[in-house]
Amino acid sequence: MNERAGVVKGDAVLSVRDLWVDYQAERGTVKAVRGVNLDLYRGESLSLIGESGCGKTTFGLSLVRLLVKAATIRKGEIVYYGDTKPMDILSLSERELRHFRWSECAMVFQSALNAFNPVLRIWDQMYDTVKAHGAMTRDQARQRSLELLRFVQLEPERVIDAYPHELSGGMRQRVLLAMSLLLRPEILILDEPTTALDILTQRTIIELLRRLKQELGFSMIFISHDLSIAAELADRVATMYAGTIVELGDVYDTFYRPAHPYTLGLIRSVPTVTGEFRDLISIPGAPPDLIEPPAGCKFHPRCPYATERCREEEPHLELVPGHDGHYVACFHADQVLRQSVKRMQPND
Amino acid sequence: MAGWIPAYGSVEEVGSVSQRQVSNNNEHRLRPLAWVGALFGGIGRFLKLMARNKTGFAGFLLFIGFILLTTVGPLFIEEPKSADITAIYSPPSREHILGTDSQGKDIFAQIVNGGADIMQLALLTGVISTFIGVTLGSISAIIGGRLDTFLTTLADVWLTIPRFPLLAVLATLIKLSDMAMLALILAVLGWAGLYRSIRAQVFSLRERDYVEAAVALDLGLPHIIFKEILPNMMSYIAISFTFGMTSAIYAQVGLVFLGLVPLTRNWGVMINLAWTQGAIFFRDSVYFIMAPVTAIALLQLSIVWMSRSLEEIFNPRLRTG
Amino acid sequence: MSDSTVTVTAVSRRPSLGSLLKRIASHFLVQRLAKALFTIWFVTSLTFFLIRLMPSNPVEVYINELILNYGLPYAEARDQAASLFALDLDAPLWKQYLDYMVNLVHGNLGTSLRSPGTTVTSIIVTFLPWTIFSVGLGLVISFTVGVALGMIMAYKRDAFWEPILSGVASTLSAIPNYIIGIVLLVYLGVYWGLVPIHQMRGSRSPGIEPGFTLVFIKDVLFHAALPIATYVLATIGGWMLSMKSSTLSTLGEDYVTVARARGLPERRITTAYVGRNAMLPLVTQLLISIGFIVGGSILIESIFVYQGIGLRLLEALNNRDYPLMQGIFLIITISVVVSNLLADFVYGWLDPRVRVSGGGG
Repeated sequence: MNERAGVVKGDAVLSVRDLWVDYQAERGTVKAVRGVNLDLYRGESLSLIGESGCGKTTFGLSLVRLLVKAATIRKGEIVYYGDTKPMDILSLSERELRHFRWSECAMVFQSALNAFNPVLRIWDQMYDTVKAHGAMTRDQARQRSLELLRFVQLEPERVIDAYPHELSGGMRQRVLLAMSLLLRPEILILDEPTTALDILTQRTIIELLRRLKQELGFSMIFISHDLSIAAELADRVATMYAGTIVELGDVYDTFYRPAHPYTLGLIRSVPTVTGEFRDLISIPGAPPDLIEPPAGCKFHPRCPYATERCREEEPHLELVPGHDGHYVACFHADQVLRQSVKRMQPND
Repeated sequence: MAGWIPAYGSVEEVGSVSQRQVSNNNEHRLRPLAWVGALFGGIGRFLKLMARNKTGFAGFLLFIGFILLTTVGPLFIEEPKSADITAIYSPPSREHILGTDSQGKDIFAQIVNGGADIMQLALLTGVISTFIGVTLGSISAIIGGRLDTFLTTLADVWLTIPRFPLLAVLATLIKLSDMAMLALILAVLGWAGLYRSIRAQVFSLRERDYVEAAVALDLGLPHIIFKEILPNMMSYIAISFTFGMTSAIYAQVGLVFLGLVPLTRNWGVMINLAWTQGAIFFRDSVYFIMAPVTAIALLQLSIVWMSRSLEEIFNPRLRTG
Repeated sequence: MSDSTVTVTAVSRRPSLGSLLKRIASHFLVQRLAKALFTIWFVTSLTFFLIRLMPSNPVEVYINELILNYGLPYAEARDQAASLFALDLDAPLWKQYLDYMVNLVHGNLGTSLRSPGTTVTSIIVTFLPWTIFSVGLGLVISFTVGVALGMIMAYKRDAFWEPILSGVASTLSAIPNYIIGIVLLVYLGVYWGLVPIHQMRGSRSPGIEPGFTLVFIKDVLFHAALPIATYVLATIGGWMLSMKSSTLSTLGEDYVTVARARGLPERRITTAYVGRNAMLPLVTQLLISIGFIVGGSILIESIFVYQGIGLRLLEALNNRDYPLMQGIFLIITISVVVSNLLADFVYGWLDPRVRVSGGGG
């Protein structure tokens, strides 16, 4: 093992218990998030992976309570352990919530293409952010903005007075990242930070995020369907399927010893540059309808290991025997593990 | 299919008549009935589509009502010819539903008889202006290049010119009492707006994936125009048409009201008469002025409301399921 | 790395004259100005040829009139017509056209036929301000109130009263403006006697000295109240509905969600993030509507007998006073062009994306 796996398993900075989020759609109620339990530890980077529509973005949005009107947080608890006493996020008032957002927990959305007000300069928007939290004087804000723009490898003087449309997509993503660091939040939530960017810019962003993690010790949650970002940056990985977490473990366990058929399927379906084609197997079928989800385990219609029990009972997250900190929600985890180990043998 | 069995009974009864003859006769009987059936079916479907949007349906019904009132109405209710001095400006009563005017003539009868040429002009102008707009707009968007730049600059300039004053000026120079002429001039004056919106729409359609796919699949130009592009433009065409109608009504009534165009009796003329005869200044004569005013307002409203339904029909994405 | 340094668009060496001119020419304001001038030229030429080439050539008609009514010999009638129309009838058409344009630039629009001795220019100068005042004030009120209401309607679209307001707005916008004027006059003035319409005729009361006194201003507003009310009612519906739909779509934009995620106060988001962006498409609509409202002044002013340029145009039309007709029509068009240009400038100020058609990194 190397130093990355040695995550400070100290206190949790964010704790989510039994979160349920529903969307009101025309056809019925979409159960987007179903009973998620998750802890984010101080200084760690946790990656949340899964297909489109599995509920990961909804989950991220509920952490800062930025859901659309049609969505309701039906049940659950989100507790933030910052510098002061623990905060129950779901019961914060509007004013407290406003303060919590960005200064304690900053959520950076995917595709910063349209993340900025087109009629204001970057400096105005930086200053807006600072002014809203009353954190610094104008000069301090200016200095800090320039400093952060330099950190994300942009030319500070030029960019700070520019309008958003004068910057490219990659530049805007970096400006958004810089803006997210303005108030030194404890937690960064990044939703698809590299999707919709070209490969070179992706690399730049990933390097920046790595520096953020190693030099500045932020606690981060990456939400992505891209496994490679998880592999590069995460300490722990949580796999989400049909609104619930089906596997949770450190990054090595997830990639080398997956215990859930879905995780195994995801890993097997991603081509590597040196990988052999016969190794590539995609997952048949489509994600379940979350208005009328199937009974039992939500993955069973697509699962090669499914049995009668899977069709009737939904499995819960349980510790994988022998793996510290590795949890899986599957009745046949042992079978999956054997398959994973077999798969890894020729390459490892 | 029991309803289609011919009146003279089943085949067995006829006896000597050969099977084929009877079936031929049956078919001859069936065909017009079938045709009528299909027509009603089509109308039924159309009505159902219109009914999707409540305001649209209300507008549609109102519009049909106006058409019936102004075309069929005059067959039953005659234009009052002679003056009745004893009944000047009388309030609504059982005899005169909307009262009488300054010469004692029944107002309701005048309304019924006074709408036909307004409706005709509206429809005619709508058709011509839509035709001009669609043709020029699509040609401009498809051909592009210099023609497009020229037409677009011309349209921009044209749009800046205030239409009604120009129309008023033209009215003094050209005889505008001929309806076809008036419709043509109105349509020509208003070409720029429709040209612009059709052109924008065709431009965006040209780039759409399904058009490119159709071109790549070599489905043929007529197919592309009629099956891919035109259906998606229908909502714009419908809107253009209704807009053409409303602006024609506005222009015609406006011109007549100002006394710039001599026309036969219609609502605009009624307003003009009411105005010049000072009908607005007395409480009793209020019906004389308000009747045509309300008629025009309701007609415009009905067209605008109806356009909402049309928009929804032609643009399935607007339909909230 | 392709994006590790920002590309700078400004040329570091001294720009050549050619490229400088190109940059100026591509600036959208310059283009708008050029288009405005072209439009004015186009309209002046159009009116010139209309008057001269129409089947019932007004100049000839007038000459005939002079001959018939005043018994003038042809030559003299021609001369009189020429001077009144500010034309030289002997010269070939193209020279007449040039003279006409030159006269125009010097502000010579000819003399009124029906009020001999009064130049068209003086008539315009006397009456145009009243129209600009009433139309302008109406537009300002209609736009500001309409936009504010539209935004409120978008934010409160779940309230019970919102559909009612939308319905009212859509009904108002469908009714022609002169119908609204007549209804106001008939009901407010006559039927319910709420408003002293007889006193409100005209643009000001006789006997009150014009000037920047409170009395005068109050009097002017009193007389202009009904025309302004008509302009407002006729157009406010459109603004409300447009702003509502524009606001709704702006509220769905990513940067609004990000602004909330940044913890910005709702007030700042409403004004600087939603408001400013939602208004942009409406400024373009303002452009198109100016022409229409000014065009409608001929009708509204005749309804309320408001002494503006529209009423004068109507009189000129009825009297077949061609130089006046031509001059007023021209000036109306020029006003529209100028206000469109102003609206363009305002749009450029509001939306930085349009300012230079060739910026970007």
